Amino acid sequence: MILLGTLGRRLLAAVPILFVVSLLLFVALRVLPVDPAAMSMPPNATRDEIEAARRDMGLDRPLVEQYGVWFDHAVRGDFGRSIHLRRPAAGLVGETLPSTIELATAAMLVASVLGLAGGLLLFALRDRPAETIAETGTTLLMSVPEFLWALLFIFVFGVALQAMPFTGRLDPGLQRPMVTGFLLLDAVLTLRFDVLRSALVHLVLPAIALGLAFAPPIMRVLRASLLDTYHEDYIRQARLRGISETRILLRHALKNAILPTLTLMGVQFGFLFGGSLLVEVIYSYPGMGNLMVDAVRNADLPIIQLVGLTYCVVVLTINSLVDGLYLVLNPRLRAR
Amino acid sequence: MVAFTRRNLLQTATIGTLMGALPAHAADDGVTIGWPSDVTSWDPNQRFTPDAQSIFKAVFDQPLDQDAKLKLVPHLITKWDMAPDARSLALEFRDDVLFHDGSKMTAADFRYTFFERIKAGHKVDIAQSMRKVTDIEVLSPTKAVMHFDSPAPTVPVWLAFLGSFIVPKAYMEKVSPEAFALKPIGTGPYKLVEHQMNARIVLERNDAYWGPKPALKRVTIEIIKDPSARVAAVQSGQVDITTSVPVREVTRLKAQPGLVADLTPVTKVIILQVRNDEGFADSNIRLAAHHAIDKKALSQAFYAGAAVPVSVLGVPGSPGYLEDFTFGFDPELSKQLLAKSGFSLDKPAKIRMASTNGQFPSDYDIARAIVQMWKKVGIEAELEVIEYAKYFELNRGNKLPEATLYTFDNATGDPEIYTGYLMNPKLPFSPWKDMTLGQKVIDQFNVADEKARIAGWRALNKEATETGAAMPLLQSVMTVVRKKSLELTPYGNGWILPQTMRWG
Repeated sequence: MILLGTLGRRLLAAVPILFVVSLLLFVALRVLPVDPAAMSMPPNATRDEIEAARRDMGLDRPLVEQYGVWFDHAVRGDFGRSIHLRRPAAGLVGETLPSTIELATAAMLVASVLGLAGGLLLFALRDRPAETIAETGTTLLMSVPEFLWALLFIFVFGVALQAMPFTGRLDPGLQRPMVTGFLLLDAVLTLRFDVLRSALVHLVLPAIALGLAFAPPIMRVLRASLLDTYHEDYIRQARLRGISETRILLRHALKNAILPTLTLMGVQFGFLFGGSLLVEVIYSYPGMGNLMVDAVRNADLPIIQLVGLTYCVVVLTINSLVDGLYLVLNPRLRAR
Repeated sequence: MVAFTRRNLLQTATIGTLMGALPAHAADDGVTIGWPSDVTSWDPNQRFTPDAQSIFKAVFDQPLDQDAKLKLVPHLITKWDMAPDARSLALEFRDDVLFHDGSKMTAADFRYTFFERIKAGHKVDIAQSMRKVTDIEVLSPTKAVMHFDSPAPTVPVWLAFLGSFIVPKAYMEKVSPEAFALKPIGTGPYKLVEHQMNARIVLERNDAYWGPKPALKRVTIEIIKDPSARVAAVQSGQVDITTSVPVREVTRLKAQPGLVADLTPVTKVIILQVRNDEGFADSNIRLAAHHAIDKKALSQAFYAGAAVPVSVLGVPGSPGYLEDFTFGFDPELSKQLLAKSGFSLDKPAKIRMASTNGQFPSDYDIARAIVQMWKKVGIEAELEVIEYAKYFELNRGNKLPEATLYTFDNATGDPEIYTGYLMNPKLPFSPWKDMTLGQKVIDQFNVADEKARIAGWRALNKEATETGAAMPLLQSVMTVVRKKSLELTPYGNGWILPQTMRWG
């Protein structure tokens, strides 16, 4: 009950945040020096025809009125039509969001496994000569941006070794099944294991490229958190009771040290969504980031607005879930 | 005898897994193409997207076509006859053309595409190219007459240009334009099997096609927007052919065994768009700026010498181009022209210049090189980088600077679509607002006689360059990298048509 209550409160608090973000996004996009009406017309359109398109799109009205119209439609689920693709924005985002969720989840898995394993390794190497080397390694991992990893992996695994595919989500001969829009899930639901295998293989490079840059902060926070935890009395008492170091680390210290790491992982997951933009373009991955890059290039304001809001919703949802998880893992918080 | 140790078993398993991870090589009856952009909509009349033209031409048919040398040739229309006053166009159609659902294509579909859809208010870009059409009279299933409100001599050209693809009236009326765009049918040599936005398009041969049957049964188009990824894809064999790779990569890929890398001039021109006022109000300064640009050096530096320097708005071989007219590189003449207007190296003329960065290959580098060339003769240009989207806003508000580096594509090669659009003050592409030349350009749109029309555009082309109203720089190039054994027909406008591909 406490958990549901907390989640409910979090989600309620998200409503005004969403409203403010939508307002900021709307204003910021409208003051940009671009001309969506001209971008929506063919090159042989006359100036009069472009002006007519501007009126049709409501771009000649005062900003407040424009926002009012947008908000009125948005609460009814109508987020406008893409200027460039001339299709409902909600449909386009809905079509691409599952791919980005799958990529971000896979990347988060990579970041978590590497981060937690790396954090434990860094902790194990504390006060040893190898610690400096390991720390330099994490700095190196952190300083290479995801798009550079993406290009590097293409060069190494795609071109030099010719071992991994790096375009799209499936091999050319395979047709994707469509049930929920989540390719991996759809492959399982339709028992298309050839599709599942191909989709997983295509996911490897983008997920690692995206996840790699997010692993080092997790490593460092976990290590720092473990160091703090090891100063607690109960660790000393566990040692006095003769419990093995491995058991102390995994059964006692990690349980408490993981909490700050979990918060960071929640924040990282939000950033991961943003970071997917370039990785999706480089790997021709049909997600929301790819859609966003096109929208920015074409001044497709309804798409930019909705993708921005979707990112906001995703981050708020993840934060709420992490808070909920906190309550599950930490009984003291439930008592308050 | 091979000894099976744990180590070599593991090695074998690893290599096997990795090799199995790669997609199978395209079969001999299929091809995988790495394409730089996606189709915006499968309603082919809806958006003018030059990049998508090759893909549309695989699924849909245009009433008229262009051959590899860009000559207008019959296609769905077998005969066309423009009236002497260019106010009507009589057409005859093939009677053996089927849409992908098996229904017959007739003149009624032509009327629906180019007249009824526009009148019905469908948001289609062909509304602009067909704005002069007042009616299309259907005389029989294979005969029709187009009527125009004013002379429309370039309508045949437009029937083979952007967005002009015949769509099925009955099917579209049955399912709605929105549903059609999700599941389109055309009369083209391929049928659309699958489209995953921003990822790939799968086409399958239309065995009932009325024209020459394509050699390849299946075409997979991987949408790869990143140029480096396209290079990697063709180099690793994950695609069989790709385009729009960086010029510097062409030289490198040429040396790769099994690959062919071509750098060919196309119908795209790189130009400096100029204003007729502010720092460019004085024609001496405009002409001095033009004479100071070493176009050959730009081509050598940024396009491996393959981009052809041009002196008028058009490309060599196109009807409006003047082969015998050259606007020379002459820095001394530039200095003399500037001196006439009171400027020198010590007292330079000051202008502003805009360029995109990354909109077309080496755009910003070309702009920087031009700024340096101008500096040597006494023109000081302040270079500003603008986004492509901002270009439209600045042009609309008449806020572009004195010179803007721009590229303009015209697959037809027709001079109206070069000079007419780039120099018409009433159209959104022209920062040149002076109506002395502008009115001549506008009037030229109404010249009905073909010979007089072409002669008029040629004369205007020369005048625009000689008065400094236009500064054409280079005929742009297209890069194509393919497997050596894959053959295709090269088109002068850069089309890469799957239906012309075959394995050698």
